[in-house]
Amino acid sequence: MDTTQLLKGVLDLAVLAVLREEDGYGYDILRRLREAGLEEVGDASVYGTLRRLYAAGLLTTYVVPSESGPHRKYYALNAAGRDQLTRSGKLWRSFATTMDSLLDDRGMAA
Amino acid sequence: MTVTEQEITDYVARVRAVLADLSPVQRDELTEDLADHLAEFAAETDGTLVQRLGEPEAYAAELRAAAGATGPGGRNLDQRVASAVVRARGRLRVLDSRLGPILGYEKASDFLRLLRPAWWVLRGYLAAMLVTLITTGGDFGPLPRFGGELLAGLIMLVGFVLASIWLGRRSGQLTRWPRWAMHAGSLVLVVFALAALGGAESRRDDGLYYDQTSVDSQYSQVRDVFVYDSEGKLVENARLFDQNGNPIRLGYPDCEGRVDEYGNPLLRPYPYCVEQAPFGFRAPNGRVPTPTAVPTPTATTGPTATPEPTVTPSGTPSAEPTPTPTPTS
Repeated sequence: MDTTQLLKGVLDLAVLAVLREEDGYGYDILRRLREAGLEEVGDASVYGTLRRLYAAGLLTTYVVPSESGPHRKYYALNAAGRDQLTRSGKLWRSFATTMDSLLDDRGMAA
Repeated sequence: MTVTEQEITDYVARVRAVLADLSPVQRDELTEDLADHLAEFAAETDGTLVQRLGEPEAYAAELRAAAGATGPGGRNLDQRVASAVVRARGRLRVLDSRLGPILGYEKASDFLRLLRPAWWVLRGYLAAMLVTLITTGGDFGPLPRFGGELLAGLIMLVGFVLASIWLGRRSGQLTRWPRWAMHAGSLVLVVFALAALGGAESRRDDGLYYDQTSVDSQYSQVRDVFVYDSEGKLVENARLFDQNGNPIRLGYPDCEGRVDEYGNPLLRPYPYCVEQAPFGFRAPNGRVPTPTAVPTPTATTGPTATPEPTVTPSGTPSAEPTPTPTPTS
């Protein structure tokens, strides 16, 4: 099992979390995820996730003209998105705690 | 920004091709603003899209997984081909980095990339040789000719080599179809080169058995010389000299049954073997001589030789010309 496999399950949550602090456009979101330590995440994964969250009605978009280069499409959380983030975040916390204690019980160092 | 509109359009087209099995709505949902996204992405990074994002097929696979779009009912042919391509590329990459150290480079492709200009020059030469083949027919050497003209051929060679280098340096900027055309053309030239090499190799094998032609003298095949005067009469005991008075020695006397009375066989006059004359004698007055009228070549048959009857049959010119050596170079 590598990070890529783990990411599949939690990329939604990661993207929602990144957008919670500030709206962002595609490459900007990718960069922030990588800076946060998810270095193996690919552009297609982030873009695909954004499209899916948008289709699910969790995100809104708006276009900002750029002085240098093409327009940027910004993604932002809406109310449903923030809701989803709260629920998914809780789920992840409890899941992570379960996994941690499972490993601790069996003497695996963190 | 180094990425062109065309590059983005091509990339999106290839991604969409891999996602062809999705419902149109689903596919549009995933890719309708992919071009904008890629333009955005390209504006902030260096290098081509493929360098930055990997092959479109791999990108599409990742996109599909991330978007949770599995598509209706298994994988179609396009997808299977795409995933096979991705796998093959992966294997090539492994091979690339395994073979590299053997050549003294990190990757084998690093070494091959250095050879690219050499290939461009070779490609120009091959193109010139292909034109040579088309305009000159089958018979030509290693230098290009245009309609048999060497000078025109050399000018063409220089032009083609320069054009090939120019094309090679710009191949990265070509759009999809011109690049396909260039690859197809190169493939034709490679096939042509292999065919030509095969042909040359088999000619070499033939040469072991038949072709005695030497590169420095087209007369090396000559075994004997027959001089005929204006009446069509065979001149015996003829000697040939060049402009400096040096005797011209051609061939070698090897008639059967002859005993050599001259010591050095190369000093003997022509023809060495009168009975092997390609054309019969014609008497000075034009009548066809009977065999008895044929003068016995006493001079060439020495004292020890019995005057043998000449075997030249009749006066009619026989239809047996000496094989003319064809210069091949």
